[in-house]
Amino acid sequence: MNTILSIAAMNIKFVTPRGLLEAVHEVSLDIPVGSSVGIVGESGSGKTVLSRAAMGLLSGSTVRREGKVVFDGKELTTMTREQVRNEFGTGMAMIFQDPMTALNPVRRVGTQIAESLRIRLGMSKKAAVVRTIELLSLVQIPDPQAMLRKFPYQLSGGMRQRVMIAIAISCSPKLLFADEPTTALDVTVQSQILQLLSDLRRELKMSMVLVTHDLGVVAGNTDYVAVMYAGEIVEQAPTSELFANMKMPYTEALLKSIPTIHMQSGKRLAVIEGRLPDPTSRLQGCSFAPRCPYVQPKCTAEHPPLVNAGNDHLYRCWFPLGQTIARKQ
Amino acid sequence: MRATYFLQRLSQLLIVIFCVTFGCSLLLQLIPVSPAEILLPVGSPEERALLTKEIGLDRGPIGYYVKWLSEFVRGDFGDIYYSGGREAVSSRLVVAFPRSLWLMLYTQIVALAAAIALGVWSAYRVGRRADKVISNVLFVFSSIPGFAIALVLVLIIGVRLQWLPTLDYQPYSAGVWEHFKHMIMPVLSLSVGLIASYTRLLRADMIATLREDYITMAASKGLSDRRILWRHAFRPSSVTLFTSAALNMGGLIGGAIVIETIFATYGVGFEVFAAISGRQYIALQSLVGLISIFYVVFNVIVDFAVGFVDPRTRDRRVNK
Amino acid sequence: MSTNKTYTVPTYAAFGWLTFSTFLAVFGPLLPVESFRTIHGDFLDAKPFTAGHWFGVDSNGYDIFSGIINGARLSLFVAFITVGIGGFIGSLLGITAAYYRGRYDSIVNTAFNVVLAVPNLVLALALVAVLATNVDINEAVPTWRRLATLMISLTVVIIPILGRIARASALTWSGREFVVAARSMGMRDRHIIWRHIVPNVLPVLIAVGFLAVGVVIIAEASLSLLGVGIPDGASWGGMIARGRNDLEYNPHALYFPIIALALTVISTNHLGDVLRGRLDRREARL
Repeated sequence: MNTILSIAAMNIKFVTPRGLLEAVHEVSLDIPVGSSVGIVGESGSGKTVLSRAAMGLLSGSTVRREGKVVFDGKELTTMTREQVRNEFGTGMAMIFQDPMTALNPVRRVGTQIAESLRIRLGMSKKAAVVRTIELLSLVQIPDPQAMLRKFPYQLSGGMRQRVMIAIAISCSPKLLFADEPTTALDVTVQSQILQLLSDLRRELKMSMVLVTHDLGVVAGNTDYVAVMYAGEIVEQAPTSELFANMKMPYTEALLKSIPTIHMQSGKRLAVIEGRLPDPTSRLQGCSFAPRCPYVQPKCTAEHPPLVNAGNDHLYRCWFPLGQTIARKQ
Repeated sequence: MRATYFLQRLSQLLIVIFCVTFGCSLLLQLIPVSPAEILLPVGSPEERALLTKEIGLDRGPIGYYVKWLSEFVRGDFGDIYYSGGREAVSSRLVVAFPRSLWLMLYTQIVALAAAIALGVWSAYRVGRRADKVISNVLFVFSSIPGFAIALVLVLIIGVRLQWLPTLDYQPYSAGVWEHFKHMIMPVLSLSVGLIASYTRLLRADMIATLREDYITMAASKGLSDRRILWRHAFRPSSVTLFTSAALNMGGLIGGAIVIETIFATYGVGFEVFAAISGRQYIALQSLVGLISIFYVVFNVIVDFAVGFVDPRTRDRRVNK
Repeated sequence: MSTNKTYTVPTYAAFGWLTFSTFLAVFGPLLPVESFRTIHGDFLDAKPFTAGHWFGVDSNGYDIFSGIINGARLSLFVAFITVGIGGFIGSLLGITAAYYRGRYDSIVNTAFNVVLAVPNLVLALALVAVLATNVDINEAVPTWRRLATLMISLTVVIIPILGRIARASALTWSGREFVVAARSMGMRDRHIIWRHIVPNVLPVLIAVGFLAVGVVIIAEASLSLLGVGIPDGASWGGMIARGRNDLEYNPHALYFPIIALALTVISTNHLGDVLRGRLDRREARL
């Protein structure tokens, strides 16, 4: 199986006044060509940092990055910034969580889309405008001609997200990172945007990394899922396998915290008790142990390794779900 | 809707102009002696009475103000009196105003150009050595008054090295180089402090902008750093910078008193000083009125310029 | 800037310089230094580091070191008093305006804007000119009155600068829940302003007050250069004004007061900045 993106042994630390903050710890992940991979976790679990670092978008004197990233056969981690930049747009592109803050407030929508076309693809001004209008209709924006001259603040959230998608796909990237693409949107708009994304993926034959905190979003839109907790991958499997055969108590907790229409009204939504551990000091045992409902003495003493259960299913737990072990309930 | 806003803003500013000039004419009433006595120290009582009537001082504070205002609006800024004659303020301004205007213009151009370059660069390199050096050096310069810089420049460049003339002003007609030769030191003295404060403003806003998602977004499009800085980050970061620059215009036109005195540029600032030290209160009132009009006009201009720089404010205003 | 250290070497240096010059200002007359008015006829235009005259002597025969010590007293005295009084009046107006809002607020705010529309120096000059006019215009104005006039004028310049800051800060604080809560408990306005708003506005005012001290020192020096500063040219600005007259032959008469003045302004500006930074961090944590 060909991989479009391969992340190996990635570590990302931030230098803060309180010391080194470990945002991502020893993460390895392969994105197969043409597939859609979900990265799931709470806010603060390191999923956004991982996706930005994979693309090389984290820069600055406070970031320490280790590990290897290979995109489309090229090792990004040893390339210069200039060379990495040449992969952006045509190779990799990204959609951001909040379309309000991710579109430049002082530039017109048309300019922002056409910019990639002009600079990355070297199109003429005229050709860029024509292509921009095509892109706007591709992301199902009504009256694309009028949209060109608008400013982002004049658009609704859904429209802005469509504009951002248009920018991301403008140079037909091979891999699209979608970082919480629907979180900032109304529920009704969310499903439209997800539908649009999976249509576009098929149409343009893109691979996609879908970063989200919502297992429900992952369910219908991905082929593989990686669950992150406290900067580590704690479970990873093909999507159908994961939902059929969940191993990690954290994944189960995430699933329970999603509201469904079948839920009885009046019944309380499950909440994951406690908080993420302090990222400046790694725990000796399992990171999830302090919040795990099934915690055992071993869990707080030893850090569990990532083990393979077969069927491409990896998990990081001493006492995975579905095994007959006495649990304290 | 924008017209309403415009009128509202304009009326606020007209109130400011009114208060400033009316305050000036009230100051006149505070003087324990009759202004005519000061203006005509050697005149006879009849001459003084005539002058009092001519200026309108016999009409009480409000009558005087109305008279002054009606003349001011028509471009009659009063006269300057000296022993043996008088001179219209407007005819002196014809000479002084262009000097101040050039001085202000060059100062702003130099200050903004330097501050934009330094501010963008130090925000881009925030926390690194270049940023620290720029910030610290500018901080020191911002604390040194312009006249101190002027005097040191005069001493080193003018007197010791004799590279540039230390006094006087030359118009364009005397030759471009002659013109600039007389402008370099005054402009430098005025702009050093401005460069420091402008750079500070721009750097702070620019750092905030560079943390925005849309900058990461621009980076993910594969744009060069230079393009991101100038095309994406600079404009949304420059509102405070240009606002503050515009608000300095009035002060630079009439407030560059010390620098204009040191270099004998004799612009509007010097006229203000001359009016004060010669106790030419009517002239002073007109000059202060003109300066505050400048202040107000640039206030309005900046309000609308901000709309161009940051389109979001165009609609926000209407809602307010 | 991102360091967590509150006090750095420059901060200590700034604090040290201000303490030192305040010490000179207060105890200057008690120090075993000759009066700044003594004329050293044998040492006219003496260079710095001449025995007995560390900083040299100017062309009038005045010892520059003594002049600097004496100037510290006048420059700092005028600056601190002016900022103190101006800050008090300004914050009184600004805070009450922000608290009571309404017509009173718009009057105060307009008044601030009016004063700010006139350049600092023009305003101070005009006030000095008008207030120092004698009934008999040929009679000299006494020194104390010229000094008082100068300080009143500079105070008027300072009032809107600090008043505006006080108003802006008080506006944000009077909207906070604890003020609304205090009001709903029926507390008196004066009590709320004094106990809830003033303590929160004060730190910002002190920080900006340091910057204002620099503004006043520079303004006084500018006025001295124009001949209407502290009488008798005894302040640092006055020394600069005199040094300017023979800067070609005796530049150190110019350099030393400029250095003293610049160091003081750099110190107050720096301390103002440090205080502001601490406040911003405190705000960020809240």
